[in-house]
Amino acid sequence: MKYWHRIKNLGIGLICILFALTLVIAPSQGFYVVAMILCISLFGYAIRMLWYYFTMARHMVGGKAIVYQGIIALDLALFASSVISMSKVYIILYLLGVYAFSGAIDMLRAMEAKRFDAPSWKLKFVSGCVMVAVAAALSILGLFFGANDFLVYGYCVSLVYSAVIRIVGAFRRTSVVFIQ
Amino acid sequence: MNADFHYYATYCAAQLAGYSHAESLDIAYSACFVDFCSKTLLSKIKAPLSAATTQLQLELMDARTDAAGLQDITRIWSSFHFLPYNLQARPKRRCSKKYRNKFRLICNPNSALLEETVRLAKGKSLQAAGIAMHVLADTWAHRYFAGTPSLVINNTNAYFYELLPEGEKKITFRHSASAPDDPANSVYTCSLHYNSENSIMNLGHGRAGHLPDYCFARYKYLPAWGGYEEVVKDNPSDYRHAFCQMIEAMKFLRGERETFARDTYDTQAVASRAQWLEKILHKRQLDASADWKAFGESVSGKEIAAFDLDIYQDEYKNAPKERKDSTFLGRFILAALAQKSMVTGHIFRSGSLLAGYPIDSAEGSRGKNRVFGRILNGAKGGGEA
Repeated sequence: MKYWHRIKNLGIGLICILFALTLVIAPSQGFYVVAMILCISLFGYAIRMLWYYFTMARHMVGGKAIVYQGIIALDLALFASSVISMSKVYIILYLLGVYAFSGAIDMLRAMEAKRFDAPSWKLKFVSGCVMVAVAAALSILGLFFGANDFLVYGYCVSLVYSAVIRIVGAFRRTSVVFIQ
Repeated sequence: MNADFHYYATYCAAQLAGYSHAESLDIAYSACFVDFCSKTLLSKIKAPLSAATTQLQLELMDARTDAAGLQDITRIWSSFHFLPYNLQARPKRRCSKKYRNKFRLICNPNSALLEETVRLAKGKSLQAAGIAMHVLADTWAHRYFAGTPSLVINNTNAYFYELLPEGEKKITFRHSASAPDDPANSVYTCSLHYNSENSIMNLGHGRAGHLPDYCFARYKYLPAWGGYEEVVKDNPSDYRHAFCQMIEAMKFLRGERETFARDTYDTQAVASRAQWLEKILHKRQLDASADWKAFGESVSGKEIAAFDLDIYQDEYKNAPKERKDSTFLGRFILAALAQKSMVTGHIFRSGSLLAGYPIDSAEGSRGKNRVFGRILNGAKGGGEA
C-alpha cells in the first residue's frame, strides 16, 4: 500500500468516527448529512467510471465491466437521493443495507484473495462477516422490536468498528507483486 | 528478462561479436546493472537520483501516481525496459488523446527508437553498450506491454494459455509474492487486478506475471489493447532473435559493421552452436544462468565471474568529485542519463507529457531539471570511450 492510500484510509476512518459521533449527538440531522455525503460520493464515482469508459476503457478487452460499474453506482446514488427525503427509519435501513452490502463484498474479495494465496485475507473476511451480522441484527431489532434508538447506536458502533478496521489496515505492512 | 539473459547471454553475445573477455564482462555487468540501479542504490552511493534505471518493490509501493509520479515511472520504464515501438501510432478506432498517448508507448522490437538507442552507444563507453543491449533485449521480451501504469493497455484477462508440445494448458495466476512460479503445473504469479487506470499493478507486464521473462515460455492471450485479437508470444523464438540482434548491434558498436539496420540478425555467429542455444532456450527452468554460463565459457574459454552488485560501488563513492565520471558506475550513470533523455525527448515531441519534459525544452530547463541538464552535458563529453 502506498503512503497516499494509507493516508486516504486513515482519513476515511477518522471521518467515519466523526459521523458516528455526529449521529450520537444529533441523530436527526446527522442521518441526512451521512446519507447526502454517501449519495454525492456515489454519484461522483459513477460519473468518473462512465467518463473513464467513454475516454479510455471502451477500447479495452473487457472494458464494458467499467460501464456496468458506473451505471450500478449511478443507480445507487439516485436511490440514495430519493431515500434522503423519507423518514429516519428508511434512511437507517438503507444505510444498513449499504453497510451489509460492503460487508458481503469484503467477504467475497477475501475469498478471492484466499484462492490466490494472497496474504491478509483473514482480517478482511472477519470484518466482512462482522459487518453483515451487525447489519442483520440491527435490522431485526429496528423492524420487529421497534428499538429505533438501539438501531441508531448500533449503527454508530458498527461505523466506528469499520473505521477502526480501516485505520488498522492503513498501518499494516503489505506485500506487492511487481514485475521488473 | 532476468539476470541469466542480461548478464550471461549478453556476455556470450559480446564474445561472439568480438569483444575481449574483460570487455564482455563490463558490457554484461552494465546490461544487468540496469535492473539494479534504483534511486535507493544511487542515494547510497551519493549519485544523481535522476540516473535511476529501475524502481525496486518498495520504491514502487511508495511511488506517487499523480502526474509527476507517473512521469517519473514512465521515464524509467519506457527508456530502459519497454522501449516504445511507434510514437506516431494511431489505434484502429477513433480514440481520445489520453488513450492514444498510452497506446503509443507499447513496446515492440525493431523500432526507430531502438536504432537510435544503439547509435547513441556508438563511440561511447562499454557501459553505454551494456545499457543499449539491455534495452534491445527487453524489446523482445516485453513486447506488447507499455512502460507506464495503464489498465487499458497492460491488463490481461482469464484467457491465458500456455502452448506446450502436448497441447494448450490454461495458466493459473496467483498473487503470492513469496511463492515461486511453477512451470510444471503452469502456475505463475502476477500482480493483482486493480480497477484503476494508473495503479502500479498495471505497470508493464505485471498482469502477465514473469512469463515474458522466461525464455522457454510460449503462450497466447488477449492483450487489453488488442481488440479481442489473440496474441501468440513465442519466447524461444523472440529470445533467439534478441541474442542474434545483440551480436549484430555489438559488431556495429565495435566498428565491424558500418551500419546498424533494423530487423538484422547475425545468425552466422551462432551457427556452430545453434543446437546448444536452442536447448537452453527451450529448457523449462526459472533461472538459466548455469546453462548460459557454460555456453559463454565454451565460447571464451575463460571463467565468467558471478554478478556482484557491490563490486564497483566503493570505487564511485570514494572517488573525488572530478573523477567520479570516469569510474565504472560514473560512466554507467552518464550513459543512463543520455538514454533517458533521448527517449523522454522523443515521447515529449510526439505530443505526450507522460514521460515529462526533456532537458532541451523550455519547461525542462527550469527548476530541478537544471541539475539533470548539467549532468547531461557531462554525459555528452564524459561518457565517451
